[in-house]
Amino acid sequence: MADSLRERTIAENSMVILLQGLQGQVTTVDLKNESTARGRVVNVDAFMNIRLKDVLYRDRKGQLTQLQELFITGRNVRYVHIPDHIDIMKTIESQLAKIHRVRNFASQGGGRKEYTKKSKKHSGATSETKRNEKIKGLRTKET
Amino acid sequence: MCGILKIIFDEVKMCQPTTNTVEEPLDLIRLSLDERIYVKMRNDRELRGRLHAYDQHLNMILGDVEETVTTVEIDEETYEELYKSTKRNIPMLFVRGDGVVLVAPPLRVG
Repeated sequence: MADSLRERTIAENSMVILLQGLQGQVTTVDLKNESTARGRVVNVDAFMNIRLKDVLYRDRKGQLTQLQELFITGRNVRYVHIPDHIDIMKTIESQLAKIHRVRNFASQGGGRKEYTKKSKKHSGATSETKRNEKIKGLRTKET
Repeated sequence: MCGILKIIFDEVKMCQPTTNTVEEPLDLIRLSLDERIYVKMRNDRELRGRLHAYDQHLNMILGDVEETVTTVEIDEETYEELYKSTKRNIPMLFVRGDGVVLVAPPLRVG
């Protein structure tokens, strides 16, 4: 789980969140330099940097190397093979739920919120309808 | 809740876009969700697969994808160009957006 607000926001708004849900899975990553790395995903950050362990690394010539750990810079990723048994929707939904749990964690005790309630759009209410409600509320008070 | 993630998987829309009209180029890709598409990539690669999800970077999730890599070999003596293509099939692939050149409906050969 990304530790910074910035990384959480970046991940929440892009497909990287699916890759983050692949933690613990064995996958193959195709790199831009035509080599491939197959191993267990330790961590993926918002910039698509990937940490793998127990890796079989095949270079562009086909030569195999075994590596305990491999760090791949996000910019070097071409493809990530998604294992067949992964349910994409569920993985993404559970990753988003994790982010929202962290975000709401402090607010329950009246502590620091990551966002003020005003800027949250998902409640469906736009700032205009909220303003209209406030005006309605004022009107009923006056009459 | 999910920012600008747009996904259709098994006909369940995860995030409805705020408007159904086509306003910007990315909206044209939205029209191709859950359809088979053709993706031209850098380094003479092409992908044909079913678009399951995409984002603003053009990171994409493609299902039942066939990747075609085209190489040109030049005959030493005759100097003629020999175009070779290698294909492989991958059931589910995450594609990093910075490799994508264009996205189109699948090319009809006949």
